[in-house]
Amino acid sequence: MKTFKTYDKGDVLPEDYKKALINLMCFQADSEYAGAQRVAENHRYATRPEEAYRLSKKVFEEMGHGFYVWNLLQELGVDVDARLYELSHNPDNPDPKKVNVINGFRKENWSKFFECWEDVALFSTVVTPAAVAFLGQYRECSYLPWARVNVRIHKEEYGHLAFGVWASKRCIEFGGEKTREFMQQRIQKFMQMGLGFYGRPSAGDKKSQMFDVYYEYGIKVKKPEELQAEYMELLDSRLKEIGLVVPAGVEADYDMRMGYEAEEPLAA
Amino acid sequence: MLSSPQHLIDGEIAELKRFGYTPFGDAAPDWVAMWEHLKGDFATLRRPRVPDFAELSPWPQEGARIYMRRRLLADRLFEECQVLYRSLHMEGINIERVEAYTLGREAYEEAVLDFGKAREMLEDVFSRTVDLAPMR
Repeated sequence: MKTFKTYDKGDVLPEDYKKALINLMCFQADSEYAGAQRVAENHRYATRPEEAYRLSKKVFEEMGHGFYVWNLLQELGVDVDARLYELSHNPDNPDPKKVNVINGFRKENWSKFFECWEDVALFSTVVTPAAVAFLGQYRECSYLPWARVNVRIHKEEYGHLAFGVWASKRCIEFGGEKTREFMQQRIQKFMQMGLGFYGRPSAGDKKSQMFDVYYEYGIKVKKPEELQAEYMELLDSRLKEIGLVVPAGVEADYDMRMGYEAEEPLAA
Repeated sequence: MLSSPQHLIDGEIAELKRFGYTPFGDAAPDWVAMWEHLKGDFATLRRPRVPDFAELSPWPQEGARIYMRRRLLADRLFEECQVLYRSLHMEGINIERVEAYTLGREAYEEAVLDFGKAREMLEDVFSRTVDLAPMR
């Protein structure tokens, strides 16, 4: 395994390292909060009380992840209250100069993916495994306070995946074979998102320019190819559990930039 | 026009109201009315009609009351989360408020899961009472 220098709370961080770290942490915090706002918008699709309550709990959880990371960013000199203000006062179109929300969690992109409760269930089943894999790597990153916070976040992301499996099973339980077929057809659009979550490959023409920097610093500790393998394993096992299968020939959608693979640091 | 942090909470409240959520108050729980909002969760392909609260015999009726009490507990913890959420937005992010919010939301999460366990309990009671009733 690759080795790298680690930093703890209060350590002096090299300027370039700090800049790269803050960029990724801002993307995570801002996007967790925006993600909570998007999940809340999906509430209207809840067909049963327990579904509604479980989604409500997920909203508070996602928001809590944002608060964890913002709390650390504050210690690094970032004005996090200004970011919270921007997101909470402009939920539909936050200013990209003020906050870093991944494309997939911007309202204009997100809302196109959802038409029914089955979509809500499938998002947590098909896209969340990518978040589990992607955010899971930060548990071993070189900035130890962020690593510790991501241990807590990772555990809850697993809970969100369990929610997706539970909700999908319930859809099929109540809707029967017709619903199972309906859901099978809808896996592809979410899988494209999941496959694009961790960014472009680490080598070749399409590689991300920033990946090598993050990897060298130990801020990202796994290559996109490794994360993709983890994602596919999780996805396959969860879909089998529900009685669904992984569709063949699905291509990643990198344009949604779910994994905040920004080429240049943005608002920070 | 600018939105506000309360906008998200108002939306959450509106959605839970579809299933009978009522803010904390002095009135005693109206089990009959609450059941009307919740009984749909017990409808299945094999049990398309779920009885009204008054139609339930004592065994499933007590199960239904326990199920609804779990939901009331979740509702109160949901309100606790709202207070902690507002505090973070109005007074700013710091470790004390973030961890207080974490405790609050974890308690709410557990209550929601308990509400789900109570549904499973009642589902089991229904399979042994309501579902067998026409055969008697």
